[in-house]
Amino acid sequence: MTREQVMTVVVKHLAEAVDGLDPANIDASRSMKDLGANSLDIVEVVSSSMRELKIKIPRSELAKLTNLDGLVDLLFRTVQESQTQAKAP
Amino acid sequence: MSTPLCVFLPGPHEGVGVVRMQDAAGKNAMTERFVHELVAAFRAAEAWAPLRVLVLQGLPDMFSTGAHVGMLRDLVGGRVAPSDILLPKVVFDCPVPVVAAMEGHAIGGGLALGLCADMVVIARESRYGATFMNMGFTPGMGMTRLLTHVLSPALAHELLFTGELKRGSFFEGKSGFNAILPRVAVLPAALDLAARVADKPRVSLEMLKRTLSLPRRRAFEETHTIESLMHRVSFASPEVLARIEDVHAE
Repeated sequence: MTREQVMTVVVKHLAEAVDGLDPANIDASRSMKDLGANSLDIVEVVSSSMRELKIKIPRSELAKLTNLDGLVDLLFRTVQESQTQAKAP
Repeated sequence: MSTPLCVFLPGPHEGVGVVRMQDAAGKNAMTERFVHELVAAFRAAEAWAPLRVLVLQGLPDMFSTGAHVGMLRDLVGGRVAPSDILLPKVVFDCPVPVVAAMEGHAIGGGLALGLCADMVVIARESRYGATFMNMGFTPGMGMTRLLTHVLSPALAHELLFTGELKRGSFFEGKSGFNAILPRVAVLPAALDLAARVADKPRVSLEMLKRTLSLPRRRAFEETHTIESLMHRVSFASPEVLARIEDVHAE
């Protein structure tokens, strides 16, 4: 899975969570709060994305993130780690 | 003296009282003090002679987040018995009809509290969910039955099993909430609904409240017994405390 595919997953769930948000015009350098998500929208976007990507990240790690790019980086890194572990003999 | 977490106020319409949960710093989470003050606010409302209808209001962005993490830790540690949490009875036992004005999010026990009301107004942009299972333990506060007051059993089961927080707009066209409105319109609509009820005689309102709430009161008693038993088992799982801490990590 590529970083772009992870971004597509996150943007899909973000667009579902925030009314009127156009997936084509999302600036990933901004925080989800800046993009119109409330605190519980963010919880659901992260939970739904992790569920779809079949990974789990502790909330304490997620709390350090400041923007969408940071979330996608963390999710992508965790996906890669889980794929590496799955391939290990 | 510290600001009260919950207060009773006479409402803007004749016969309408308001109990307001207003612990902004604590997000209206249920601590021992919060529960004590909420019960006291209901008692103050009930002692107000003109009362015909009570509106239960939270904060504009947060109705209630349910049990405080400290209370959950005490439950898991066996320092508090699950049976100690009887807030639903406070709403059921209120002699007059209760309207829940759920402008803000309502989570877990916070949603259960609102659903104990006789009529419920929610907001399109707020989120509502029974998140108990996300923390690894079975639902409490009567939630296994309360949700079917406003949702079909199938949809109630979806919320209970998944623990997902759904936006109020998700329930439009598939629920029995009295109204699903933009957040700013929730309180005025709840007060208007209360005013339309408040011109009836108190004695008749009391009798109708007792009659209409009877199936849910019975269901709560039955459910409470079963939920407490489930809690004794699920709180004993070593995974639960770790999940509680993860969900509440800042």
